[in-house]
Amino acid sequence: MTNTRSLLETLSSLAGPSGFEAEVVRTAVELLKPLTDEAYVDVFGNAVGILRCGKPNAKRILFSAHLDEIGFIVTGAEEGFLRFAPIGSIDPRMLPGRELTIMTDPPTFGIITCLPPHVLSAEEMDRSFPMEDLRIDPGLSKEDVLKTIPVGTPAVYRAGFFSMGKDAVCGKAMDDRACFVAALLALEKLKGKAQEQDIVVLGSTREEIDHGGATVGTFSLDPDLCVAIDVTHAETPDGGPKHTDCVLGAGPAVAFGPNHTPWVRDRLFSLARQKEIPTQRIVMEGKSYTDGWEMQISREGIPTCVVSLPTRYMHTPMETISVQDIESLADLLAALMEAPGWEGDCR
Amino acid sequence: MKELLRELCQVPGISGFEEEIRACIAEKIRPHVQDMKVDAVGNLIAWKAGRRKAKNELLITAHMDEVGFIVKRVDDKGYIRFAPIGGIDRRTVIGKKVLVGKARIPGAIGLRAYHLVSAKEEKIVPDMADLYIDIGATGKEDAQKLVQIGDEILFDSDWVEFGKDRIKAKALDDRVGCAAMIRLIQSELPVDCTFVFSAQEEVGARGAFGAAFAIRPHIALVLEGTTAADLPELKEHRQVTRVGAGPVLGLMDRQTLYDRELFERLRALAEKHGIPWQTKRTISGGTDASAIQTTAGGVRVASISVPVRYIHTPSSTASLNDCEQLYVLAERFIETIANEKEDL
Amino acid sequence: MDILTALQELNACHAPSGEEKEIRDCIQRMTLDRVDETHVDALGNLILHKKGTGPKLLFAAHMDSIGLMVTHIEKEGFLRFGCIGGLPAENILYTPVRFLSGIRGTIVPDQAADRSKLTLDDLYVDIGAKDEQEAAEQVRIGDTAVYDTPLNLLGSRLLSPYLDNRISCLALLKAMESIDKSPNDLYFVFTVQEEPGLRGAKPAAFAIDPDYAVVCDVTPAGDQPGSKHYGSSRLGGGAAIKVMDTSVICHPEMVDRLKALAEKNGITAQNDVIVKGGTDAGPLHISRSGVLTGGVSVPCRYIHTPQEMADLRDVESCAALLSAFAESALPALR
Repeated sequence: MTNTRSLLETLSSLAGPSGFEAEVVRTAVELLKPLTDEAYVDVFGNAVGILRCGKPNAKRILFSAHLDEIGFIVTGAEEGFLRFAPIGSIDPRMLPGRELTIMTDPPTFGIITCLPPHVLSAEEMDRSFPMEDLRIDPGLSKEDVLKTIPVGTPAVYRAGFFSMGKDAVCGKAMDDRACFVAALLALEKLKGKAQEQDIVVLGSTREEIDHGGATVGTFSLDPDLCVAIDVTHAETPDGGPKHTDCVLGAGPAVAFGPNHTPWVRDRLFSLARQKEIPTQRIVMEGKSYTDGWEMQISREGIPTCVVSLPTRYMHTPMETISVQDIESLADLLAALMEAPGWEGDCR
Repeated sequence: MKELLRELCQVPGISGFEEEIRACIAEKIRPHVQDMKVDAVGNLIAWKAGRRKAKNELLITAHMDEVGFIVKRVDDKGYIRFAPIGGIDRRTVIGKKVLVGKARIPGAIGLRAYHLVSAKEEKIVPDMADLYIDIGATGKEDAQKLVQIGDEILFDSDWVEFGKDRIKAKALDDRVGCAAMIRLIQSELPVDCTFVFSAQEEVGARGAFGAAFAIRPHIALVLEGTTAADLPELKEHRQVTRVGAGPVLGLMDRQTLYDRELFERLRALAEKHGIPWQTKRTISGGTDASAIQTTAGGVRVASISVPVRYIHTPSSTASLNDCEQLYVLAERFIETIANEKEDL
Repeated sequence: MDILTALQELNACHAPSGEEKEIRDCIQRMTLDRVDETHVDALGNLILHKKGTGPKLLFAAHMDSIGLMVTHIEKEGFLRFGCIGGLPAENILYTPVRFLSGIRGTIVPDQAADRSKLTLDDLYVDIGAKDEQEAAEQVRIGDTAVYDTPLNLLGSRLLSPYLDNRISCLALLKAMESIDKSPNDLYFVFTVQEEPGLRGAKPAAFAIDPDYAVVCDVTPAGDQPGSKHYGSSRLGGGAAIKVMDTSVICHPEMVDRLKALAEKNGITAQNDVIVKGGTDAGPLHISRSGVLTGGVSVPCRYIHTPQEMADLRDVESCAALLSAFAESALPALR
């Protein structure tokens, strides 16, 4: 039985910002291989794993968890310091003094600059510096810097995964590799059992910038049902009920809203009740900001829903999740894989 | 037109919760179409044979969904916290009556009594996340018996005819388009047409993508309700459109450059048949055309809209005559499709 | 092809997004003998096909330009307008414009408007009409206008309106001229409606279903005084090989391939990351099952203003890199 924590740590430590996911994708394919009939990297760069049921005219369910993380990209240099832009959405307040892994081959260590308090006025100390005013310090001379680290080189938060308390883990890229782990655990539960439908797990790329991986993956795989597995905000002291409907440790969240086809959502709740899997109800009143948004409108439109893992501190290097939640999420996904309840789709 | 529109406006159908309006429309059109289906996102697609096949396949569409709200949370005292579905101006929701959930539980979007509001507070409109609905529950448990997270919340707004030729109702956007389409479907048409009553337009033209991909028309005509801002505090050029000045012919909005030849065709038709018409004086808004135009190998798109004041509020207002002219102009447009000799 | 003459010809065309016919006809004339098939699709994209047996390679350059559309005629004869594509108010103050009919005018602000917060709502076009009636005799609601500013060659630099995107169209046309033998199945698409939202490329890509795509556009250079570094390239630094813009991160394989070709053929090139501005690469790379997409761009200053600047040497480098890519052996993907 796979160790959830070690899987999370392996995936969290890999560098793979949107557009530059090759290493994570290769690892993901290796992890999919023993659990599927076919696992490969598709033309676009996504990881794909297909578990065939062997029945004629079988329907197909596509699960997508994205492998890319937010990151940075070098845009120029000044006096040996690198200018950079974000890949995906990043809070600039996370950045002063932040350690990075710059994705040269081999990787380079860098620190995001931070003016010391001694030279700042009281007002400046209160201010958040916009990204365009920050630089990365790779410790190189100004002659060498762009030769070693050319314009266009990506970078990520330096990895640092650790356990917290009995049930929580903390690290970068839990969004959304923790959900990919849940998908792997779900596939494991299906091993050796006969199925009625084909299951495809897509380790998608580019979710953080344009959901490109899920858009092309869904078109290419042409499924009958789509499930996007992504993270959702869990309550924190400064992000309480006004901001989020979810807490850590109370199970995966199933959503209400236009991106979530009612019969699929109802099926998930009913399976959760049957199998006594704790779940939380959340509302996404419009765009879900997940792969599910693009999957739903692929070709002629596909029944879709989003199942979410509660996460604190999203888009920081300290994303915090509950291991128990991942395991409940895996149970719920496996239940849907085995019995999606096609009869609920009475169109 | 009036009776049909009145009925359609009263039926619930928030984006993602279109079951009732879809069933209502389906019942009205079933005897008049060759085939009908509901797709994965909830669009109602109907095929109607005309006197002949067209050289250019025509799709006509109006969206059946309306804006509304959804229950996010029931708080400890039994008040409901909610979020908007579609674009809603929060200034227009304060102190309004709503209907919550399938059981249509009446509620009020509350706001502290004026006596308790300071001069400073009066200047600020609270965030939607700070507003709440009171359904008269005695506490959280009592409220949870009636209402659940994810329930839809409708504007409660009746149909009123007032002033000269004016109507007030919720959801004129886009039941005016649906009404025109139903009238077209109920009459004899010169050419085969595919009609789509689309779902989830208000949250991003969501239904239109799949419907257009499935149908692959050459030409699509979108029938809509659009913003009228003909109020005295605005300079003329910022008024977008004016109620009573006739249907709005689509030239350009924030998401689409409409097919030029089709716009000229509509302009010429309106002139020829004495139908009042106008264009947007300020570029704003978007329609299902944004999804349809770039589907598959591309679709030529046109739009005709009814100007609606106070659009996306419970008290939206339009001119009945504008609604009638929408139908008339659409009918004339279909005739030109029937008369096309070759692919354009 | 002489770039300057060809640019003059293209600039004489009136072709804002949605009305690309004039420039399409012009480009079609220029390419008659260089391709096997020509097709114009429902939205007006010009699709040129030079047949080959290898993988499908799509080159895209948008032929539409930004412009204005008349939305309202004031009683005093001034015209109100909407923008076609991105047109910040500060870029177009007192700019000469010209309508398809030849009517000319200038863009002026409402005298009472706050200059520090100008929006398009504060602007008018003055065509010299004395009242609404006289104006209505010359223009109609829906008529479009384009910049009416000159094209000049300053040493090796061009100063002209609409280098976005005519200079890239010319780079592509020059590349087409010099493609000798290509193992690939080549499509050259001059797209429509890029400026208001990257619209034409999507259906063109769907219809062609390519394996690879290369987009040719201009890219904002970061070499002006007080530059905010929205773009990493500089004029004279060579063909800008696209790594990232706001609509795409190019597949590393494509970036590496283009860089290797540039090096092998002695073509001056530079890496290009921009943080403002998207291109047709956006819709191209996510078409159908995905398309490996790159970009070869002409660095350009003052984009979307009445006088943009680019370096002819960069244009030549782009043309050379595009034709080298067209002639290169690409792995079959299906």
